[in-house]
Amino acid sequence: MAAAGRGTAFGRGFWALAPLWLGVIPFGAAYAITARGAGLSLLETQALSVLVFAGSAQFSAVGLFAAGAAGLEIVLTTLLLNVRHLLYGLALGREVDLRRRERPVAAFFLTDEAFGVIAAAKERSFAFVLGVELSLFMMWNLATLAGFLAGAAIPDPTELGVDLVFPLAFLALLVPLVRTRAELAVALASGALAFGLARALPGGLPILLTGIGGSLLGAYLTRGTPPDRTIHADDAAREVA
Amino acid sequence: MSFWLTVAGMVTVTFGSRYAGLVRRTELPDFWVRFLHFVPIAVFASLVTPYLEGDLGERGIRIAAASLAALAAWRTRQLWIAIVVGMAVFWLLRIPW
Repeated sequence: MAAAGRGTAFGRGFWALAPLWLGVIPFGAAYAITARGAGLSLLETQALSVLVFAGSAQFSAVGLFAAGAAGLEIVLTTLLLNVRHLLYGLALGREVDLRRRERPVAAFFLTDEAFGVIAAAKERSFAFVLGVELSLFMMWNLATLAGFLAGAAIPDPTELGVDLVFPLAFLALLVPLVRTRAELAVALASGALAFGLARALPGGLPILLTGIGGSLLGAYLTRGTPPDRTIHADDAAREVA
Repeated sequence: MSFWLTVAGMVTVTFGSRYAGLVRRTELPDFWVRFLHFVPIAVFASLVTPYLEGDLGERGIRIAAASLAALAAWRTRQLWIAIVVGMAVFWLLRIPW
């Protein structure tokens, strides 16, 4: 796959995403180190990257595993985080003419970054779409593997306070998303609500409830302004996997 | 087994979200498009505050480290720079000077 030439549609797609590898590698490695700290095995850590292939959902899932959340809470939080892919699918379905049997493949590997790159590109073939998508898939999984193995070099993660990487990573993902007053209000209210709820409720429930409550608040605060249905390549690429 | 059952559920809802958009031709109502825009913001924020404190009674320096990490994230928009800054500040403040 790495030998994919620039001359084919697949190769052009593959290399079109390559500039984003720089952001994917540390994110994937940080995910794997956190998963290791949460007590997941290499097989389990890698399985999430291969089968689920959604960075923020995988990251939150390992945090929830560590917190002893119930499986259902983890699945529902995953749904809440990934249901935005519906929008990408809708846009992609309009733009690219996919055959019936190509759709599940294109859907399985669809991510924020891939959508962003495809939206910004001129090519619209299935081979190009697949090249973009698999470029991220390959690097995400290599970064997961490398991160997990590197994690073995960290002697005592708890003593070193490596668990701080988890909230730091989400803070770093959150900050670039906050650009308007409504977004700032939702971020602050959600942070406060989750903090309060976490003292009263176990496991993943505070995150799930805050995710729904905060998003309802945002939708309410922005009522009257028409939603931006054209997803900008730049924005999608910034919302990591 | 519970782990793999959870993974199966995660795969189902993730693939379902990705696939449903591709095969549907309808548009979502405005309210829900705006709702979805705020989901990452609300969820990411809720994954920060409950985990900031830690279990070792280092609340003060962890919040200080996170504040500088947030500043770094805002200026550079690079995930890894924010994490490196945050951890470096945290370890520096931990040293009993």
